[in-house]
Amino acid sequence: MATVKINGKEITVEDGTLILDAATSAGFEIPTMCFHARLSKLASCRVCLVEIVGQKKLQPSCVTPVMHGMEVLTESPVVKSARSAMIDLLLANHPLDCPVCDKGGECELQDITFKFGPRKSPFGEEKRRFHEEDYILSPVIIQNANRCIQCKRCVRICAETVGAEVLGSIDRGAGTGETSFVKEYLDCDHCGNCIEVCPVGSLMSRSFRYKSRPWDLKGVDTVCTYCGTGCQLTVQARNGEVLRVISKPDKGINHETLCARGRYGYSFINSHERLVTPMIRKGGTLEPATWDEALKAIKEGITGAIRNGGKIGGIASSRLSNEELYLFQRLMRVVLKTNHIDSGSRWNTGAVKTFTEVMELSRGGVSIYDALNTDTLLVIGSSISDENPVTDYMIRRLSQNKKMNIIIASPRGMKLDSSAALTLRHRPAAEGEIISGISRVLYDKNADKLNDLSGKEPLKSISKENISSLTGTDWGRIESAANFMSSSNSVTIAVGNDVLRGPSRLEFLNVLVGALRLLGKEVKLFPVFDRANQRGAWEMGVHPAMMPGYSATAGNGLGCEGILEASSRGEMDVLYVIGEDIVSDFPDGRFAEEALHRVKFLIVQDMFLTETAKMAGVVLPGASFVEKDGTFTNQEGRVQRLRRFLPPQGDAKADWEIIAAVGAAVDPSFNYGSAAGIFGEIKEAAPMYREIAFESLDGSGALIKETNRKGTDLKSVPSVASQMPAASPDPDYPFVLITGNHLYHSGRLSLRTDILRDILSEAIVEISEEDAKDLKVGKGDKVVVKGERYEATLTVHVNKRSAKGVVFIPENFTDVRVNMFFTKGEGLPRVRVLPLTGKSHGGGIK
Amino acid sequence: MNRNHYNFDLNGLLKKVFFVDLIQGLFITFHYTFSKTITMKYPDEETWIPYKRFRGLHTLNKNKEGKELCVGCELCQKSCPTQCITVVPMQDTTGKGIADRVAYRWEINLLRCMFCGLCEDACPTEALKLGREYELAGTSMQRHLLTKEELLAPQAVPAEFEGGVIVKARLGTDETGIKVVPDMSVQKRWW
Amino acid sequence: MPLITRSKKQEARNKKQEARSKKQEARNKKQEARSKKQEARSKKQEARSKKQEDDPVKSKIMFEPVILKNINASDSYTLTAYLKTGGYQALKKALEMNTDTIIQMVKDSGLRGRGGAGFSTGLKWSFIPKDPTIPKYLCCNADEGEPGTYKDRAIIEKDPHQLLEGIAIGCYAIGASNAYIYIRGEFTLGADRLEDAIREAHSKGYLGNNILGSKFSLNIYVHRGAGAYICGEETALLESLEGRRALPRIKPPFPALVGLFGKPTVINNVETLACIPHIINRGAGWFAAIGPAKSPGPKLFGVSGHVNKPGLYELPMGTPLREIIYTHAGGIKGDRRLKAVIPGGVSAPMLTEKDLDTPMDFDSLAAKGTMLGSGAVVVMDEKTCIVKAALIVHEFFHHESCGKCTPCREGLDWIVKVMRRVEHGEGKERDLDLLLKLCGDIFGRTFCPLGDGAVMALRGAINNFREEFEYHVKHKRCMAGC
Repeated sequence: MATVKINGKEITVEDGTLILDAATSAGFEIPTMCFHARLSKLASCRVCLVEIVGQKKLQPSCVTPVMHGMEVLTESPVVKSARSAMIDLLLANHPLDCPVCDKGGECELQDITFKFGPRKSPFGEEKRRFHEEDYILSPVIIQNANRCIQCKRCVRICAETVGAEVLGSIDRGAGTGETSFVKEYLDCDHCGNCIEVCPVGSLMSRSFRYKSRPWDLKGVDTVCTYCGTGCQLTVQARNGEVLRVISKPDKGINHETLCARGRYGYSFINSHERLVTPMIRKGGTLEPATWDEALKAIKEGITGAIRNGGKIGGIASSRLSNEELYLFQRLMRVVLKTNHIDSGSRWNTGAVKTFTEVMELSRGGVSIYDALNTDTLLVIGSSISDENPVTDYMIRRLSQNKKMNIIIASPRGMKLDSSAALTLRHRPAAEGEIISGISRVLYDKNADKLNDLSGKEPLKSISKENISSLTGTDWGRIESAANFMSSSNSVTIAVGNDVLRGPSRLEFLNVLVGALRLLGKEVKLFPVFDRANQRGAWEMGVHPAMMPGYSATAGNGLGCEGILEASSRGEMDVLYVIGEDIVSDFPDGRFAEEALHRVKFLIVQDMFLTETAKMAGVVLPGASFVEKDGTFTNQEGRVQRLRRFLPPQGDAKADWEIIAAVGAAVDPSFNYGSAAGIFGEIKEAAPMYREIAFESLDGSGALIKETNRKGTDLKSVPSVASQMPAASPDPDYPFVLITGNHLYHSGRLSLRTDILRDILSEAIVEISEEDAKDLKVGKGDKVVVKGERYEATLTVHVNKRSAKGVVFIPENFTDVRVNMFFTKGEGLPRVRVLPLTGKSHGGGIK
Repeated sequence: MNRNHYNFDLNGLLKKVFFVDLIQGLFITFHYTFSKTITMKYPDEETWIPYKRFRGLHTLNKNKEGKELCVGCELCQKSCPTQCITVVPMQDTTGKGIADRVAYRWEINLLRCMFCGLCEDACPTEALKLGREYELAGTSMQRHLLTKEELLAPQAVPAEFEGGVIVKARLGTDETGIKVVPDMSVQKRWW
Repeated sequence: MPLITRSKKQEARNKKQEARSKKQEARNKKQEARSKKQEARSKKQEARSKKQEDDPVKSKIMFEPVILKNINASDSYTLTAYLKTGGYQALKKALEMNTDTIIQMVKDSGLRGRGGAGFSTGLKWSFIPKDPTIPKYLCCNADEGEPGTYKDRAIIEKDPHQLLEGIAIGCYAIGASNAYIYIRGEFTLGADRLEDAIREAHSKGYLGNNILGSKFSLNIYVHRGAGAYICGEETALLESLEGRRALPRIKPPFPALVGLFGKPTVINNVETLACIPHIINRGAGWFAAIGPAKSPGPKLFGVSGHVNKPGLYELPMGTPLREIIYTHAGGIKGDRRLKAVIPGGVSAPMLTEKDLDTPMDFDSLAAKGTMLGSGAVVVMDEKTCIVKAALIVHEFFHHESCGKCTPCREGLDWIVKVMRRVEHGEGKERDLDLLLKLCGDIFGRTFCPLGDGAVMALRGAINNFREEFEYHVKHKRCMAGC
């Protein structure tokens, strides 16, 4: 501890605290320009200079640590004049076109000039101008280099946090300008974090260009609903129209960083395609109706089914709030007396159950900062840079200043690879085998210590050659992954939801975790989800085998696949689907479409008329995330508040209100009046939520806590039947097709956002560099991807780091329906890639 | 001698006989009949043009090249104490403004405006001026919600006109109300 | 003793060189051609210098050159020539010594860095951690960019082995096995000669593995810069060497702890390193006895400007400025009066005639408010326009500012804009005060010494010659009549 005197006020702070922080905590304000708490230190703007008694020169407070007995003056005449001189110098070449500049009103340079700057400047020379018109740097970023004050925050955040390294400086001295690559050479994440950190109007959002002044905007701090990272963001609107999303430095785990979807994926809220009224199918077409009519039709449909003892099922999206998901399962289980419910349509229901157990989700939440405070991090089952960009940013940022070995196991190459100590490129759906290989190495090396390891028997049957050929990964790399783990004191294993798509032998994760714990390592398990409330959905019991809080159900319910199978046999009388586009998402589009046709009464509740909604008997208009209250549980197990600040469009209603109304139509005692009320009931049903106070959930939310129930029994973990594609390649179909979210899109919702569509609107196919060379195609060329049942023409993207023989098509696009390649029960499909000669640009669907 | 004894006022009598007071009074009337008129024949024939400092109806100016000076910075809206101004900016690539930022909407609710002129002070480009139009009575509320297009139209009194004079005017009426149209070419000072 | 002396025949050539020193960039392109001329010239000089030894006047002020002792030989840059004059004996001697003894010896010698800052070299070396497991580096700063300075170039081109020997001893002392010579990009001949010299030394076992049969191994790499003055700043040099933009780094941590590639690094000037073999050879006491006690040793003074015999002179530290100009450099050209002299490269504030008796060493010049810097003496006669001279200097600093910190980037830009106006006769009354205010705003607040140097020079010019500046503003033309 060091005791320092700041402006005569004595305070005691930790050793190594910066003068800036010490002064702030003592209540003195020191202006800064280039300083940014979560970036490397630059100390170039010299605005934060302070006087240290006994030192001749003024010192930059943003890099100078306090020393015991130091006496610092932040308000002395020398400091004040230096400060105002620096601001005057910053303003010398600044164009001062504040009336035009979009940053006006929230500009840090304006603020410090107003507070600390000179009242008058003697500058009377001609100002430096790089260009007259602003550059359009990317579909979302506009640059005006004239306004740049060379704080280099954008350059630093791009390189250090985002890992894109697309911004840099050119020239030197007074002619220094920020610059970037042009057009197709720009390998930008379009995340807009550079805009967020820019203290002046040098980098500006293209979508917010000349839309409004910040003081005209009304906003709400809420949580992003795209991926499981659970970023806090602020949605701002003027006159009811959402104009932008920003992030605040002090809010949430993301600390000012957002990805392209989070920052630009908002304009669907004001989309004119939104459903604004309920619709009922009359004579083959869907026609607008009132809520009373719609609820009456639903009541008739459901009561009829109950009377006849028919099957009722429900599928809810994992993008609904906890309250809605809880209410949904309550409606299903209590009112409609059925266990046939599921969340999402892409996962293997059995694998989900195993996943929740091996990942020890019932043990409560693990903060990402705790999880990343580790010696070794294994990321498996997720293209984390694309699926959860902000998690990727956090890993990159936190791994920079400390020694953390990152091991990435994935068939696709990703941006985080460059920060990794080791990458394991494996064949798709071989995650379980990779884990079993690592476990085997650990077991071989420490057999004496691992005598008590449960599950060691299956390990013994694993041979090095077998794993190498199954995973397509060099055994040496698997060995070095194990070596990294055995030489660390703590290991974090981040498992993504790709392991739920093409299920592999997840139960080996349990063996690995058991082995590491027996070896005395601190093991943290960190799930990575591509849907914002995937964890919440399971915790609320939207799963046929799990009640709220992961307690087991009595009856045998059907999962999504089971429900569709029952439907295709014509057994499903009523199916209530909320927010899920099954036809587009279920990994066998043809089957899903045929099955849904045979559902006798299909109720779809959504914001848009999706492919599934088009088949419904009744369509109910739901609300977007800024139009309803509730909570989300992110992948960490952090509960965060969703806040309503706009009324739903048209006659649409918050989803929980609709579920409550549907329930009340069938059973009048099903009565819920507010999201907070429902949350109170959740606390009873899922004890992990007991300590969370709905009303006082602030910026960073609250982690759920482990309950008293006993932890997962290692022996009882159900094994998963592997659906790994055969190792020997079929000469006709040499590629394995995998799918997932694209960096700029998430599910189907983001495609309704015009800004994200500007970045990428058509499906692409990503192949490895090696394959591209063999096929003699390059980035931007068209190829035909041919499966056994479906083919499509797509634009090639080359991923330098991907494994050979893997083709990736994002699942987000409507022009190419990736799920049509799949056949139910056969796992990942094999495809052929044919270069397209000549120029044909149509989406070719067989 | 005491002339009061007679108690006879010849002057008074003569005045009465010859209607002197009447004539005197009539003379004033007569004098004004032929002297210079100081009342204004408003609104039928004449109207008062105020001085430059006058704060009347708002006007949005253009520069010499005919480009809109307003860049939609919203400072007038921010400075307005009665919140009667609404500005929505937009991007413009046609070059109609002095910058690529122009006002998409610039609206003022004159029913709320108190003509304090703070908006004029706030304007960084001298686009906004309070002009010299003061005949703001109207027959409908709608007439008092003025849009950018109406405000961009030049006012009858040009900005550089000194003012402080009476000019010839014509009274015109249309469906929106009564309008006094000044003719700046014929002017006079009121004193 | 003047080493590059010139006869009257050479005056024509002198004039050429003066013009060249103003157009430094252009000069460097012609470097190679010129150095061939110089070789021819130095042969003549050899013959001439024999005559001069007999001259009683010259011998009175004679000082036996140490660093430049070899350079008049035609093949001075070859290993054979170097070995002939006792080359690499110091390395041999050093390799038998304890590293701490060497560092102590350098400390005792009182050698101060010749790059400009004048920090004790021995002390700098002693900061390097002793842990043998950490790789360490020595960087030789051969990015000689200060206008008026050409001392390092002479050493590199004429006697590269002397530098290599110094580097080798330094590396041995601090425990580095890799050294980098960051050489200014324009010194193509120097870089080529260094590379040749390294090759030669390698082949003879003076570099490489197990040098002279010891356990000490060393590789020296020559890295050519790409032409930025800021690369002479040690941390910017490291950044450039690592492949990034040459911007200075935050200190602390100092390079002695976190330097090149994050490892402990010593950065020394060429002349400093060239002194090392002599200290080892002749002992610390010998070195400390030359010149004043606080900054001893031989020093190279590069005299340029309006003098009769511009050139490089090796003299003891503390030689008075008057002696350098009038005795060695042959006085002012055309017997005109001296107006101003810059004692240590253009970032040093100028001195006037009254200060001519100042001894040229670190402390005496600091007491006069200027600095020894690189020892580049730029002489200006009475016909020089100080405003123009100051503008030229500032155009240089403006052009060479790296742009990292606000005061240097924006401040120098502002200063240059005002100075151009003043020089063109469009100045205003308040401009001089504005310039002084800007100098005050910049001084002591910049990230690295570049900005400080720039404003110190301007402040010196305005303070000494305020009336000339005022004349420029008032009469819209130059007082000196140029």
